[in-house]
Amino acid sequence: MTAKTSFSRRAVMAGAAATLAAPGIAHAQARTLKIGSLLPRSGFFAQAGQSMHRGVLAAPDLLKELGYNVEIVHIDTESNADVARTQAERAINDGCHVLTGAFDSGHTLAIAQVTEQRQIPFVVNVAAAPQITEQGYKYLVRNFQTGGQLVTNGLRLIKDVMDAKGIKFEKAVFLHANDTFGTAQRNAMDAIWPRVNLPIDLAEKIAYDPRAQDLSVEVTKIRALNPDLVMCVTRASDAIKMVRDMVRQRFQPKAIISPGSPGFYDEEFYQALGPLADFVMFGLPWANPKSNMTQAFEKSFAKANPNNRFAVDSFNAGFAFEGMLIAADAFKRAGTTAGPQLMEAVRATNLPEHIMIGGPITFDAKGQNPNIGSALVQNLKRIPTVVLPKDVALAEPVLPLPAWQGRS
Amino acid sequence: MNPFTLLARLVDEAPRRALVLLAVLVAVLLVAPVALDRYLLSVFFLIFWFATVGQAWNVMMGLCGQLSLGHALYVGLGGYVGAVLWVKFGISPAIAIVPAVLVAMAFGAAIGWLGFRFGIEGVYFALLTIAFAEVTRIGFDNWSYVGGAAGFFIPVTAGGGSAINLRGGPLLFYYVALALMVAAFVICAALRRSRLGHAWLAVREDPEAARALGINVFRAKMAAVIVSSAMTAVAGVVYAFYQSNLFPSQSFDIARSIEMILAPIIGGLGTLFGPILGAFILTPLGQTLIALVEKIAGRAIPGVNLVFYGAALMVMIWFAPNGIWPWLKKKLGIPEERS
Repeated sequence: MTAKTSFSRRAVMAGAAATLAAPGIAHAQARTLKIGSLLPRSGFFAQAGQSMHRGVLAAPDLLKELGYNVEIVHIDTESNADVARTQAERAINDGCHVLTGAFDSGHTLAIAQVTEQRQIPFVVNVAAAPQITEQGYKYLVRNFQTGGQLVTNGLRLIKDVMDAKGIKFEKAVFLHANDTFGTAQRNAMDAIWPRVNLPIDLAEKIAYDPRAQDLSVEVTKIRALNPDLVMCVTRASDAIKMVRDMVRQRFQPKAIISPGSPGFYDEEFYQALGPLADFVMFGLPWANPKSNMTQAFEKSFAKANPNNRFAVDSFNAGFAFEGMLIAADAFKRAGTTAGPQLMEAVRATNLPEHIMIGGPITFDAKGQNPNIGSALVQNLKRIPTVVLPKDVALAEPVLPLPAWQGRS
Repeated sequence: MNPFTLLARLVDEAPRRALVLLAVLVAVLLVAPVALDRYLLSVFFLIFWFATVGQAWNVMMGLCGQLSLGHALYVGLGGYVGAVLWVKFGISPAIAIVPAVLVAMAFGAAIGWLGFRFGIEGVYFALLTIAFAEVTRIGFDNWSYVGGAAGFFIPVTAGGGSAINLRGGPLLFYYVALALMVAAFVICAALRRSRLGHAWLAVREDPEAARALGINVFRAKMAAVIVSSAMTAVAGVVYAFYQSNLFPSQSFDIARSIEMILAPIIGGLGTLFGPILGAFILTPLGQTLIALVEKIAGRAIPGVNLVFYGAALMVMIWFAPNGIWPWLKKKLGIPEERS
C-alpha cells in the first residue's frame, strides 16, 4: 500500500523558503562566536607570532569567566601574504564569524580585502602601518598604535623620564636596523623628532644590518660621538649584539632607550645577556600591571603556557587577548553572528576594563582605537617592569644606567 | 609572419593529444567558477599567477639557459609602477602596464648587458640578479615617494568595482590571471617555434657552438632577459592590484624569487606545460597540506605542513628529475612536437 502525499504550491514554496533561510537563521542564532585567529606562527615573524598565539591560547578560559562564549580557530599565516589571504577565505568558509590578526601590516591588508568583500568583522590586534585605517575599510578596526604613534609616545616618555629623574640628556644617537621595521621607524623619527621639541642634540642616526655578525663598528662610531642617550630600534638578536659590543668597548651611556621596538623584552635577550639585560628601557604599549583583568589574564596565561613568562609575552599576548575580547563583547551585545550587525557592535565597542595601558577601548570613525597608551618599561632583574607613567608603575626608573661591570 | 599565421602553425604542429588536453583544460577552467567557492577562486588565482611568472622565468632559464634568482625584481617593479600611476595620477592599470613593462625591460636590459657584455655566467650571473633585486629593495625601502619601507597602498574604494581598473573580487582576478596564463603560454609557444626560440635553444645547449653557427649569442641572451622581465612585470601589476599593497621587503624578496621558480623546475624546465603543471601541483599541495595537518592533528601545527611540502618536493625531484611534464607526456603517449 502506498500513501498518497499531496503538496500544495504554497507548502512547497514555504518549505523552499525555510530551507534557503535555514543557514542564515542558524548563522544569526549561533550561541558561540567562532573567531579565526590568523598569526604568523612559522616563517620570518614566527617569534612574535608564537608569542601572540600564547595569548590566544590563554584567552578562552578568561573570556568564559567573563561570560563570553567563543570558539577559536588557530590559523598559521606562515609569514606569507598569499597564505594569509587564502586562509582567511578558508576560515570564513569554515564558519568563522570574526577574524583577528595578523601582526604584519602586509598580511593584515591581504586579510582585510577578504573580510571587506565578505562583510565579516576583522579586529586587527597588532599591525602598525597607518594606512590600514586610512583605506576606508568598513569591516576593520584596529586596536593598536600606528608606527607614528609608537615613536611619538616613545619620545614623550623620554621627556617624562628626564623630568621624573631630574636628568638631562645633552646628546643622543639614534641606532636602527635597516630592515623594513627599522627603516619605517627611522622615517617616522625623521618626521616626528623636530616636532616634539626635546631639548636634546640628536647627533647622528646610524643604520645597521641586523644580520651582521656584530655591531662593533657602529658601537665604535657611537663611542666616538659620546652621547649620553642611545635610542635604538632593534630586534632581539641585534639588541644582544649591541649590548655585548657596548660592554666589550666599555661604552657607558647614561641611558639606552628604545622609542618603540621589540628586542629588549624577548626571552632570548634575557637568556643571552643575563644581568647585562637589565636597566635598558623601551617605550611601548604595555599590559597594565594594576588592572584586574591583566592579573586574571596572567593566571590564565600561566595555566595555558606553563613554560613561558607572562611578563615577557605581555605585549603580544595582551593585544592578542584584547582582539578576542573586542569580538566576544560585540557578539554579546549584538546577539547575532551576522556580519553587518556584528560589525556595528564592534564599532560601538566601549570597554573601560581591559589589559593594555590606556583609556577605554573605543573606535573612531576610521576604526582606530585612539586611547591606547604607552609605558616606559625597564628591565629589572630580568623582568620587564613598568616604570612610567606613575599611576601604573611598579617601580621607580633606575637612571643613570648602572655600570656594566659588577652586575649580578 | 602575422600572429594568426603563427597561431595556425602552432596548432598544426602541436601534437593532437596535447592540443585536446589543452582545449579541455581551458574549457574546464572557463566554467569552473560556477562550482568554486571564494577560497578556491583565490587558490586558483595563485595557481594561474605562479604558472604565468613561471612561464616568464622559463624563457630565461628553460629556453635560453640563463639562471635568474632575482625575478621578484620585475614583479616588484611592475607592481610599483602600476600602483603609483593609478594612485598618484589616476592612470588605469590597463594603460600603466605599458610603462611598467618598459621599466622592467630597462632593468632587465641593464642586468643582461652587465652580465653578458662582461662574460658573467652561471652562478655569477644568478648572483648579479639577486644583487639587483636586493639593491632595488633597499632603494624602495628609502624612497619616500612610494611610501618607503612603510609600504605603498592602493585605496580599496578607488575606481569602485571597475574591472578595467582591476578593482574587484576573486572572480575578476580569477579570469584576469587565467587570461595571463593562457597568453603567457601562447607567447612562449610562439617564441619557441620562432627563429629567436631556436637561437635560445642553441645558446642553452652550447653557446660556443651557437656562435660558430652564426647566432649572435649576446643578442639572443638579451632578448631572453628582456622578454622574461616584460612578461613578469605584467604579472606584477596584476598581483599588486590583487593585494592592494606593496612592501619592498615582500615585493623584492629573494624568497619570492625562489617561490616563483619552483613551478617550472618541478613541472619541467624548458617545456611549455611544465610551469603550468608545476603550479597546478605545488599551490594546491601547499593548501592541501595545511588542511590535512589540521584534519589529522585536530589543530594547526605551524611548520609541519612546510616540512611535508619540502619532503614532497624532494620526492618529486627524485622521481622525475627532469620535471613531471616530460614523465607525464610519456605516460599519456603524447609524442614530441612535429617540427
